Amino acid sequence: MSATRHIEREDLALFAMQLLPKDEHALIAAHVAQCAECGQALAEVQGDLAVYAHTVDMHSPPAQAKERLMKQVAREKKTVPVERVATPPLEFVGRSEGTYRTGLGSGAYLAEEEPKRNWAAKVFPWVGWAVAAAVAVVAGNLYHERDALLSRMTAQAGRLDQVSADAAAAKQVMEAMTDPAAKHVTLTKAPSTPTPPVPQGRATYVAEKGTLIFLASNMEPLQPYKTYELWLIPADGRDPIPAGTFHPDERGNASVILPPLPKGIEAKAFGVTVEDEGGSQTPTMPIIMAGN
Amino acid sequence: MGLVNTPPLSAQDDAALLALVKRGDEQAMATLFDRYSKVVYSVALRVLRDPASAEDILQEVFMQVWRSPDGFVATRGSLGGWLAVVARNRSIDALRRKKPMDQVEDMALAAPFNLANEAERNNMMERARGIIIKLPVEQRKTLEMAFFDGLTHSEIAEMTGDPLGTVKTRIRSALTTLRKAFQA
Repeated sequence: MSATRHIEREDLALFAMQLLPKDEHALIAAHVAQCAECGQALAEVQGDLAVYAHTVDMHSPPAQAKERLMKQVAREKKTVPVERVATPPLEFVGRSEGTYRTGLGSGAYLAEEEPKRNWAAKVFPWVGWAVAAAVAVVAGNLYHERDALLSRMTAQAGRLDQVSADAAAAKQVMEAMTDPAAKHVTLTKAPSTPTPPVPQGRATYVAEKGTLIFLASNMEPLQPYKTYELWLIPADGRDPIPAGTFHPDERGNASVILPPLPKGIEAKAFGVTVEDEGGSQTPTMPIIMAGN
Repeated sequence: MGLVNTPPLSAQDDAALLALVKRGDEQAMATLFDRYSKVVYSVALRVLRDPASAEDILQEVFMQVWRSPDGFVATRGSLGGWLAVVARNRSIDALRRKKPMDQVEDMALAAPFNLANEAERNNMMERARGIIIKLPVEQRKTLEMAFFDGLTHSEIAEMTGDPLGTVKTRIRSALTTLRKAFQA
């Protein structure tokens, strides 16, 4: 198995299902790690197996399965645990050293001979235990309350982050759409194929901010494992810059919104190609749509 | 605050839920469980044929999501597809009493479906079942023995009396037919 000799699909399927002997498995793993083509082929096989896995007869898991999982999840909380309030060892004034150091139930105190004590001396130690028990209960409640609050705060923070990110993106979209410096480009399919409806794309690009919005309509469906890819063709003659992959929906509509692009690159034109799933760093000819 | 406009967890995509899981959001974890537990459990049950063992695999797979959500980057493929494949692999490992081989980070998966969407998931399942049932019986049985029973091509060849090459070709042909049917 060399880097130049690609792996047969038969072997990739067996590899993906982990059905090969250890030595063969290791060889293929090493090859796939350095061969993009075989890596892509393996990803496709894994996708096929995922689809096949879904052909199994469906059964709902037992009702207690979710409860069991959530208990385990709670046990492995990701929040920093609040330290439990330590209950100090209890020592009582007026007791001889060593008394009550051993726990109730240890039986140690049974061996002691009860000295004569007045009423206060009998009651006082129990008041101490009652206070200790009350402190422990309050501390426990506080701990659980703080723990629940922490969990809620973490969840809210996650949602808040997402909302903020969404709002920022929406603001950017609006600014780009209304920016007077924006360049609006309509891409149309080459006129050699006049079959209506004609696929059409519209790119809105602000070079200074590296902001690009691309909306397409009437796009033809692609084979699975293929994707459309949008390209920014720089005005200074540099290589085309990949500007995002997209799949049309069932009505032929598609969009690329705010792909990560370097700022300050003037566009000479935009183009669309068909690439393998996952996209490419260099366009594969032909360019099926273009506009400037 | 605008939080009233936040979509309910059940309507959020896998990437958003995983981001919440990463922050320790147990509700997001519960939503992912509701979304994918059926397929994970069903695959494990088919392989192990024992509800208690299948439930153990279900627990193991979802705890892996909880412990390392970073392993499931959205761009590496569909979370639902990934979970189905991992459930199968973990179940086969349990069947053979082997240590798990697959590493989350090492498995990319090209899936053209949005399995987070229940309607799309159900549609894909129905179509896939329709395709598999139409396969030549030898292909269907061979793929089933390899995928769900975890038999190697040598073991299948021994059981069926077919040459090794034929077994390998049948597995590949079955998967190719499945893919092409979805391309049509």
